[in-house]
Amino acid sequence: MDLAELKAPPPATPRSTSPTSVLDAVREIADGPLMAVADAVDRGTYPREVMKKLGAAGAYGAHLGPGAEAGDYMLAIRAMAEVSRVCGATGFMVWCQQVCGLYLQQSGNPALTGRVLAAHACGDRLGGTGMSNPMKAYAGIEPLLLKATPVAGDYRVNGTLPWVSNLGQDHYSGTLAAVEGQDRELMFLLRCDAPGVTLRECPSFSAMEGTNTWALRCTDVFIGADEVIADPAKAWIAHVRAGFILLQTGFGLGVTQGAIDSMWRVEPALGHVNQYLEDRPDELQAELDTLTARIEVLAKTPFDHGKAYLIDVLDVRLHASELALRAAQSALMHAGARGYLLSSDVQRRVRESHFVAIVSPAIKHLRLLIAQLSQAEMPA
Amino acid sequence: MSATLAPSLAAGPEPWQQFICRVCGLIYDEAKGDADSGLAPGTRFQDIPDDWACPLCGVGKADFEPYTPPAAGAPRPVAAAHATTTAPLRRATPGVVIVGAGRAGWQVAQALREGDATLPITVVSACTGDVYDKPTLSVAVARGLDVGTLVRESAAHAAARLGVRLLCDTQAVAIDVPRRRLRTTRGTLRYGHLVLAHGAAPVLPAVLPAKDVWRINDLTAYRAMRAALASGPQRVAIVGAGLVGCELANDLALAGHDITLLDLQPRPLAAQLPPAASQRLLQAWQGLPIHFEGGVQVIGVERCAASPMPGALRPPSPPALRLRLQDGRALAVDQIVAATGLRAPGRLASSAGLAFDAAVGGIVVDAATLATSQPRIHALGDCVVVHGQASRYIEPIARQSRAIAAAVLGQPATEARTPPPPVLRVKTSAFPITVTGSLLGAGRWMALANTAEELRLQRLSPDGAVLATLVARPPRQAPAPAA
Repeated sequence: MDLAELKAPPPATPRSTSPTSVLDAVREIADGPLMAVADAVDRGTYPREVMKKLGAAGAYGAHLGPGAEAGDYMLAIRAMAEVSRVCGATGFMVWCQQVCGLYLQQSGNPALTGRVLAAHACGDRLGGTGMSNPMKAYAGIEPLLLKATPVAGDYRVNGTLPWVSNLGQDHYSGTLAAVEGQDRELMFLLRCDAPGVTLRECPSFSAMEGTNTWALRCTDVFIGADEVIADPAKAWIAHVRAGFILLQTGFGLGVTQGAIDSMWRVEPALGHVNQYLEDRPDELQAELDTLTARIEVLAKTPFDHGKAYLIDVLDVRLHASELALRAAQSALMHAGARGYLLSSDVQRRVRESHFVAIVSPAIKHLRLLIAQLSQAEMPA
Repeated sequence: MSATLAPSLAAGPEPWQQFICRVCGLIYDEAKGDADSGLAPGTRFQDIPDDWACPLCGVGKADFEPYTPPAAGAPRPVAAAHATTTAPLRRATPGVVIVGAGRAGWQVAQALREGDATLPITVVSACTGDVYDKPTLSVAVARGLDVGTLVRESAAHAAARLGVRLLCDTQAVAIDVPRRRLRTTRGTLRYGHLVLAHGAAPVLPAVLPAKDVWRINDLTAYRAMRAALASGPQRVAIVGAGLVGCELANDLALAGHDITLLDLQPRPLAAQLPPAASQRLLQAWQGLPIHFEGGVQVIGVERCAASPMPGALRPPSPPALRLRLQDGRALAVDQIVAATGLRAPGRLASSAGLAFDAAVGGIVVDAATLATSQPRIHALGDCVVVHGQASRYIEPIARQSRAIAAAVLGQPATEARTPPPPVLRVKTSAFPITVTGSLLGAGRWMALANTAEELRLQRLSPDGAVLATLVARPPRQAPAPAA
């Protein structure tokens, strides 16, 4: 067996699968079994079967590989958008799964890039990302909440991460801890069934209760070499940061598309009065298409480390948030009272759009990051 | 002021008057005179010779008008230090949005306001937007200007005076052409017309790390550099002996710093001036602590070991940085300044699909109308390229502003003719040089005078026509470094 063969992970998705067939399969799941459970997911049911099906359809592996290379990021984003169009909560979990796959793929750790990654990419195993706190910490908004204490070459991790999604007893999450007494961080895979890990209930959210979002409490959790994603982590985070944020746009694009679709559905009956509204579906669709085209260009180079590229990625993510808010709000205005029913997907989407806009990085956070990146560095 | 109202002044001299340059806004204060042009403090404006030129932009005396400084506290700021928008941005009537609050941005705002009293105008500025004269940054010491007095008018005051909404400390991020929207870090603005006046940014060669090297292209950076130099004489390396590099070398040497000026070319200002002018400048610098190193290439910067323990009796502080040269030498210095050229940043232009001259680094605009390649978007100042040439001088900005205002307001263009090339002024106080005319195309320089009092050269085309004239006179009293 030669070295290349040893290093190359098993293919993440069946390579014969074309982008069109992946999207067709994802769309079929979204419009079928997912649509059937979307309300239940909103209220608290985790859509395990749908998550598994989406994995088998190729929604989680499109952007991974071959090897450590970037796959088709736009396909991953479009797949997430197809899911989010029907159910924002499940769309968000597609992102959790995709970005956790990115961590595994980019870890360079053979214990993670082999079978672990392969099982993850096809949805056999599910996982999340506890990076909201670290993202804010890197922007200077809050301190790192997990601490890793070096012990004989390994680590013991302590602390609590609030609000990590797509978790479960047999799930895991990629996350980051400050290394005690040192000016560096450790990025690692935290398995929910590891000794010392407890999942604690979060307070109720206004939407998306079925995302299996928990507080992750760590008490002397052992992290050995097999769990290390990056050590030290700072440069590695900079490497995956743009891809992490770019993938998130699929979620906003999909919620926006769902809102626009719901506006067209009421057009035959209500068009004569809806004509007086701002943000009509054709205008929103044109704006969404322009944004999608901009994202498509950026999706070709997710590992571009340039500042200008990152600013553009932050801005499309920002635009997706702003557009989702406007589109969901306008969809409610277009639907009127029927959209205000608790059973209506229109009002559910309003609450989902709020999540698009506040989940890390939130609108204000994105603008802060762009402002920070736009400052020229000067001698101290 | 009339004698009847102020009898006590009637017997004494008339109070000193101020005059403002209509082109660049420089203020001539009779009380202070203009040392560069040999005008002693107390020189009345009417006594200034008719061939005198504005020390900032080079226009003549006739382009000045009397100026009354605004009374302190008079204006009511409409925009505070941060964006103060109450109405939702997208509901506002789309007027003109100007990106940039340097001279170009403010001049366009002024020209638009003069032409239309009610047009909504929004200025988006990445910095505070305070009004100052950028060319003075490289001559502040020679002119005796305190760093704290460089701001001519606060941004809030200028915004109130012109009736514009100012979004300061706001980045313009992307342009959505079909929907006429400008995305910024404080929300998205609709525009009827968009004017890009965001200037150019210093080009930093990869061998010069941003965290170790100053670039002086705005007041914030200049203030920070002067603060770093405030502790006393320091060793300063200036990389790049073009206009900015030479002026800064001259000025920081006057402030008592020990300057090494480096360039790839064997002489300073090699891209702009004939050898005779470079030679005279080097001679004039012999009285200043400026050491020119021509024909050298910088290959890297190293940080030296940390400074001594705080509280310990300090020896003269060790150099902080080492500038490594290709010939194997290393210069130990306290500060490094890069003056290695400017380029307009292309990201905003590219988001709108604007034609961009990648070689020169600027947005391509029509010479007469300043229109870019996209409808309803104009650009001016340091960020534009006309006929393949950037023109990063102050002088064209007033004409460009009037042309844009005419286009936006649907008024006939006032100046259709091709503007003359701007006057090139090298404001090195030890040997100030002025070039009028064109430096483009084929030409050869001929000396008309090369005496101790004057250097006068003409640039002739192959068929003998005069293309440009260079005049340089050393100051009557050689400038000396500060004690």
